[in-house]
Amino acid sequence: MPDPLRVVIAEDHYLVREGTRRLLEDTGQADVVAAVGTAGELLDAVGRLRPDVVIADIRMPPGHHTEGIAAAHAIRAGHPGIGVVVLSQHANENYAFDLFRRGTDGLAYLLKERIGEVDELLRALREVVAGRSVVDPRIVEVLMGSHARAADAPLSRLTRRELDVLRHMAEGKTNRAIAESLRLSESTIEKHVNSTFAKLGLAEIPQLHRRVSAVLAYLRHTPTGPD
Amino acid sequence: MSLMAAARNRGMHIVAVCGGLCMLWATLIGTTQLQNRYTLPWILGSVLPCYFAGLFTWWHAPTSPVAKRLLLIGTWLSVTIAFRYSTTLLIRAFDWNLRPAPGALHLPADYGLQVLSQTCDLIVSILVVRLLALLPDGRYAFPYERRVLGALWGLLALPALLPLTGMSRLTVHYVVFYYPEAWLPGLGAALLVLRCLRAPAAGRRDIAALLPFAVPGAVLLLARGASRLFRTWQGEQGMLYFVGAVLGALPYVAMALAIVYAAFRHRLLGVDLVIRRSAVYGCLWIIINSWYLGMALTLGLTAGQYLPVGLSLFVAVVATALFQPLRARLNALAERHVFGKRLSRFELLVQFGTTLEHAYDLGRLAPRLATGLHEGLNLQWVRVRLGGEGLPVSVGEAGARPAGAGGLPAEPLGEFPLLYGEDVLGLIEYGPKAEGRCTPEDHDIGETLARSAALAVHNVRLAAELSARVEEVQRQAAELDASRARIVHAQDTERRRIERRLHDGIQQELVALVAKLALARSCLRRGGDIDAALTEMQDDAYRVIDELRELAHGIHPPILTDQGLVAAVTSCARRMPIPVTVHSEESLGGVRFALDVEESAFYLVSEALTNVLKHAAATHVAIRMARGGGRLLVEVRDDGAGFPTETTRGSGLTGMRDRIEAVGGELTITSGPGTGTVIRARLLERVRQEKQVREETRA
Repeated sequence: MPDPLRVVIAEDHYLVREGTRRLLEDTGQADVVAAVGTAGELLDAVGRLRPDVVIADIRMPPGHHTEGIAAAHAIRAGHPGIGVVVLSQHANENYAFDLFRRGTDGLAYLLKERIGEVDELLRALREVVAGRSVVDPRIVEVLMGSHARAADAPLSRLTRRELDVLRHMAEGKTNRAIAESLRLSESTIEKHVNSTFAKLGLAEIPQLHRRVSAVLAYLRHTPTGPD
Repeated sequence: MSLMAAARNRGMHIVAVCGGLCMLWATLIGTTQLQNRYTLPWILGSVLPCYFAGLFTWWHAPTSPVAKRLLLIGTWLSVTIAFRYSTTLLIRAFDWNLRPAPGALHLPADYGLQVLSQTCDLIVSILVVRLLALLPDGRYAFPYERRVLGALWGLLALPALLPLTGMSRLTVHYVVFYYPEAWLPGLGAALLVLRCLRAPAAGRRDIAALLPFAVPGAVLLLARGASRLFRTWQGEQGMLYFVGAVLGALPYVAMALAIVYAAFRHRLLGVDLVIRRSAVYGCLWIIINSWYLGMALTLGLTAGQYLPVGLSLFVAVVATALFQPLRARLNALAERHVFGKRLSRFELLVQFGTTLEHAYDLGRLAPRLATGLHEGLNLQWVRVRLGGEGLPVSVGEAGARPAGAGGLPAEPLGEFPLLYGEDVLGLIEYGPKAEGRCTPEDHDIGETLARSAALAVHNVRLAAELSARVEEVQRQAAELDASRARIVHAQDTERRRIERRLHDGIQQELVALVAKLALARSCLRRGGDIDAALTEMQDDAYRVIDELRELAHGIHPPILTDQGLVAAVTSCARRMPIPVTVHSEESLGGVRFALDVEESAFYLVSEALTNVLKHAAATHVAIRMARGGGRLLVEVRDDGAGFPTETTRGSGLTGMRDRIEAVGGELTITSGPGTGTVIRARLLERVRQEKQVREETRA
């Protein structure tokens, strides 16, 4: 059993905040060191307590706008070691793009109802603590189902099979898991993954980051998407 | 004046020439040989005006009896005076003594001269009577006129017969000269009045118009005759006599004026020739001014006889000054009567200015302007064209434009374009003046009027634009009212829809969830396993959350508020089940427009996409967003079935249009069966400041 994660929760809704705290603490895998109601209090708590990971609501006082994303950027800039999971009620990929616009490391975008699936939440917390990235499957689903294409998007260079592999990558699966899903050999999946990286111009960056970058390249495939 | 007519009037020619020569002769010997100081006043004051008036009238109306009579009187006066001066000159030159010895019978020579002289005077008087009595046409209208006037000739027997009765020479002179001269014109005037009274209504006005000349003329002659009487009491030097002499010239002037006036103002003499009005006026001018000169001379000369030189000079000056206003008034009167209401430049401008006040109707303004110029400047023809530059053209013409070469209308003498700034708002073309040449002053008037008219046309143009705009505004107001009502209606409908979804959907689901919770609790109390029930309830809760999210998105997509139009449209496009391409200009990146603009644009896109899914059966949709010229352009183009735009009146389309127009935009829908549909909106681009964004989204 690894050490419990030191978590700070930022959520303006009292019931949701306390519910999340109890859910996490019940697992024994997380130690909620602070639960606050605003972005300002969050930054303050992070500065004081130096948690391992932060769970932040996307909408918080005073503006009820995208304060969670702004806070995530501030935390990542000030404390690169702290992972941030942004919980959002918006099943809209553009918020995810906004969160990831300065880099994907240590950031996760999950829909709020994921707190009902505490294992998933814990998995995401560990991913961001490890410096990786998680995107809610629902967002990926929207993008997968999307027919909107820009003619010059890098994804247009991928084959259908490569796109399938990429979609599974976006869901956070390993090569083995993808191989099982697609009923292909793991080496074949590896070939597809490498050619995908090459086509997306990601061959040079470290392995772990490449997967998420590939997914985000996939997500940000329209010319109008935020950079 | 044709040659044939001249030939027929050879006799009158001789008379006219005789009159002129006699007048010259009389003037010559009267002033140089006899040194008669009354010569010039008499000739200038009465003979000359009479003669010229006669000559002028006869020249233009050679067949008119009145004209002939007037010329005859003028000539006769000249002949008489020439004859008198000549005999006096002869008697002086040869020192003849024609006077009979007292008590002796009249010598034949003396007697003959006297009879001749007196007959001449009498003839003048009779001619004057006939002239006056038969005005204006010189022909008998009633039998009594013929009898009375015919009987007058009988008077001619008197100069010859009366001396034979032994009557004194002076008495005869009075009887045959002074009295007739005094009362006979009175008879003429009386006959004229009678004629006026008895004339049919139509002709009466013409005759009545002459009375102001004829009656005072007769009265003055009577006064003159009376002054002759004073001569017997006071001698020829009497003051009253001179006054009478001065006044005595007036009747002839009055008569001459009456004839000329009658001839050309009312064409009473049957003159249908086109006579230059300026010539008529010139003639009147000569008559009036020669009379004036005569008056002034007579008074000056008379005064010189009684008073020292300095004082008499003063009197002459005073007299001249006293008569001056009268002369000026007469001149003005003559001018007005001859030329009619010829407007001064000022009057013309004032009149036109008044016209301009009501110049909203170019169709009426054009003829008025043409007529004003035509009459005011005495032009042969004027053509006015108003309008152009977006206005209907109105043309007004005055006067007859003669035909020019090749059957085309004559070339204009000149033209004034109506300019307002760079715009040509019309043209004034004009022919030559009816008389004389165009002066620089005329040109100035024309130019001024052209400028005023240009302003007037410009005003009309402004008024037209204004009324068009007012109409447009009214139409827009009506449309706005209608669209506002539709928007309100649409909003109400939408609110009802949301209320239904909340009550019938989400609330029901939550109630069901509560029921399931209760079931689970009772199951737990019984010691049952509720794990499956809890999983089911969690799934239910997820469904409620999804539904709520969808509903909230339908009310207002949060992405639109948080990230703006492009992000919202892109996101919307991604959720379409058919391929949708989104092109947005680089310049749109990061720009936030006013909330209502973004909302309307997004609403348009989402409504258009909904329509595409519902009706178009399209395989591809392209959304384009761009900025330019202060506008935000949003276009949704599909390759679907299309529809006939003229006949399709869906509430969806109307709603789209309302939403776009409500924020000052315009919507165009291009479609046709089989050609797909293009929906394009141009919205006023109002950019938000970041601060404003925050405030608005918080609100």
